[in-house]
Amino acid sequence: MNNYENNIIILQAGELIDGTSKEVKKNISIVINGNSIVDVKPTGELNLPKELEHQIIDYSDKTILPGLVDSHVHLTGIGDGRSGDELSELPDEVLSINMANNAKKHLHSGVTTVRDCGAKNNTAFHLKKAAEMGIAETPRLVLSGRPLAIIGGHLSYFGEEITGINECRAAVRYLIKQGADFIKVTASGGSTKTSFPLRPSFSQDEMNVIVEEAHKFGKHVAAHCHNSESMIRSLTAGVDTIIHGVFKESDGTNKYREDIVELMLKNNVYLNPTLGPGLMRVETMENKKKAGVFTDIDQEESDKVSIEHEHRLECFNRMHKAGVPMSAGSDSAWGAYEMGNYFLDIEGHVMGGQSPVEAIMSATSIASQSCWIENSLGSIESGKLADLIVLDESPVNQIENLRTVSQVIKDGKFIDRENLL
Amino acid sequence: MSEQKVVKSKVLIDMVNDKPVEDGAVIFENGIIVLSGHYEKIKDKIHPDAKIYDYKDKIIIPGLVDCHTHHNGFGDGRSGDEIGTMPDDVLAIQSAKNAKTSLYSGVTTIRENGPKNLTMMRLRDAVNDGLAIAPRMVLCGRPVAIIGGHMGYFGGEVTGEDESLALARQLIKEGVDYFKITATGGSTATSFPLRPSFSKDELYAVTNEAKNYDMLTATHCLSMEGIDYSLDADVDMIIHCNFDKSNGESEFDPKLTEKIIEKEAYVNPTLHVGRARLWSLMEGNDPSLGGFENKRINSVSITNDRKNVLDARLDMAKYGLDVKLDHCRKMIDMGVKVITGSDSSWGDYALGNTVHETELLVESGYSNFEGLKSVTINAAEALGLSDKAGSLQKGKSADIVILDKNPLEDIKNLNSVSEVFFMGEYINRGSIKSNKSYAQNRPIVKE
Repeated sequence: MNNYENNIIILQAGELIDGTSKEVKKNISIVINGNSIVDVKPTGELNLPKELEHQIIDYSDKTILPGLVDSHVHLTGIGDGRSGDELSELPDEVLSINMANNAKKHLHSGVTTVRDCGAKNNTAFHLKKAAEMGIAETPRLVLSGRPLAIIGGHLSYFGEEITGINECRAAVRYLIKQGADFIKVTASGGSTKTSFPLRPSFSQDEMNVIVEEAHKFGKHVAAHCHNSESMIRSLTAGVDTIIHGVFKESDGTNKYREDIVELMLKNNVYLNPTLGPGLMRVETMENKKKAGVFTDIDQEESDKVSIEHEHRLECFNRMHKAGVPMSAGSDSAWGAYEMGNYFLDIEGHVMGGQSPVEAIMSATSIASQSCWIENSLGSIESGKLADLIVLDESPVNQIENLRTVSQVIKDGKFIDRENLL
Repeated sequence: MSEQKVVKSKVLIDMVNDKPVEDGAVIFENGIIVLSGHYEKIKDKIHPDAKIYDYKDKIIIPGLVDCHTHHNGFGDGRSGDEIGTMPDDVLAIQSAKNAKTSLYSGVTTIRENGPKNLTMMRLRDAVNDGLAIAPRMVLCGRPVAIIGGHMGYFGGEVTGEDESLALARQLIKEGVDYFKITATGGSTATSFPLRPSFSKDELYAVTNEAKNYDMLTATHCLSMEGIDYSLDADVDMIIHCNFDKSNGESEFDPKLTEKIIEKEAYVNPTLHVGRARLWSLMEGNDPSLGGFENKRINSVSITNDRKNVLDARLDMAKYGLDVKLDHCRKMIDMGVKVITGSDSSWGDYALGNTVHETELLVESGYSNFEGLKSVTINAAEALGLSDKAGSLQKGKSADIVILDKNPLEDIKNLNSVSEVFFMGEYINRGSIKSNKSYAQNRPIVKE
């Protein structure tokens, strides 16, 4: 029997996507008590004690889904196309102000939990402090603080450049001391000017000690991998999430690797495929073409972008079919990907072969599993925290309807999406 | 050609004329006012494709100018000492939020009186990068203080003429607009409010450097010796201006006031920050004790048989406010240039409520119109911004506030902000609920 306390709200959903089930349910009542979901039942079958005070909200023409979990954000990003190298030159205070803005924007768009995959110095931890003090309105924050990088490696400008197993161990311990919820490691180079995307960065020994130390303290590890070799090293070390997961040989050729996929399946490793940025790059080139100003160099660039994106989509499709759990995560506001547009990444999952409901699962329950928070978040079930969103239009056949968010509920509270303070 | 915008309404209080203009309008382009006055007289200057904002029965006034803010602060009774321990990143986030609060409340120009380290300079960087919005900001960087002096925890502690001069130059290098100096102690636990902090020579080192660059100075003065030193050093604005002697007795000093007038210094008396404390105590809160209050308790007549310390503090706050109001009234009578500077968010006084201070200036003897002047044109003049802010005059920035009710009927109507334009841009202030969230009201408690 449920122990009701106060502030009971019943949401009568016309349609419910609960996050864990592929089945779309009709006419479901969700009972929220304080900050928790305490019951989920067909509307006719709900039996509340009569004397209990409650408020019923009619969403019979709307769809309710779990609050979205974005398993890959950079709150520090601006999303106006500037590089990470440029971003890291901004003072911490400026980045902090930007992070608070981004956090609010993402929350208002329907994302109730984010996993932040790397910010400069202590800014991520300070944002959390500001949120706890009530001066910043943010989604729930799962933080890495600073990403671990080799000297000159990807994201090394954020302040955690380390070498050797002792420094790796110390860095993990120090981040955990500061409040890190997980460890992000750049296992290969990336967009950072001084890094090498086609080479793994940390040695196997270094990777091993990072994962060992993180796991010892109950923290998961997510590894940025822009080539196949870095994926093998990461999987051998035992990481929990592979980010990007680009199948590229060290000479730059694209090659799908069954052996790596098998390793991922065997170890139950999540993939965060980050299809959004590629999708945006393709769109940008197409728009440029439509605008009419298109040089030979543009055409070359456009072809390259398309080939890479096709490769990523194809690999996504094969891995999805093979059963690799796909954790959606936007990678915004990195590069030109502005915060508040998580739906683009989720639409990418549909292009890659998931059904809309599967893609929503990727952005809710699966993302929460990859963030190690599935016990309390990522689905609409009795016992979970009350993070939910209401859509005006059903996304079941039209994933673009994820853009029709009309209410965001976090921790049992309706968010004032017009609060610009 | 840029888009022309026009705001019009039944009542235009432009702060140029002594009386409101009936059926007035303000025409602006590129954020600058092109023309303002009676609609019929200026309407032929309006472009056919201009964007017209017709506010019908509402009141048009210039954006407000608050000469004394603390955007790092919370206004919830927290001490400055506590704010001084917070990380700069957190304070930058708070400052960005407070800056929006200021702007949404109708304050389009602020002078910041004491943030930690570079936090407000960084907020300005963020604004310049398009990452934040804020009113026009006149910044001091951090206050200049002696070791352990008031707001020394914000990062500007210096000793001796050389260090004082060096800090002044460093602040100029960092891009500050004016110097804030704490000439006496204050609420800072380690400081002495009844004593001057800097020696005269140290003060001169800063004020002379200011003169060299045509920069203004303002000093925090909680006792008379500090006021006297500051006037000798040609400081442009005396803040708080408490007529306290070194033994803690408070007595208005007409001679010192004459010296203020003779030196043409502005006075920012900060009346409401004391009333905010009073309101908070009336609500049964137990705000943190700053050093000032501790020392006052030792130096004035709180007798030992008073059991209830909160009651004693309530009496202290009432007494303190009455004294301040009385002294302010006398300064206004003698003709001192008294302006609005809220001192929010310091102590219990939160940003977004600047007009509470103006209201008390009216209670001290200003007419409603003079009160309005003290938070618009006179305040702008005190900040050296007469060319940009404070009135709706040709050539000035189009900083415009639309009120539901007329402040010339009741100065409290300054609270009825309906819309805000800043530098010609209409400001989207978000939901009504969020804009009510920062209002601090008189508690409904029996006095």
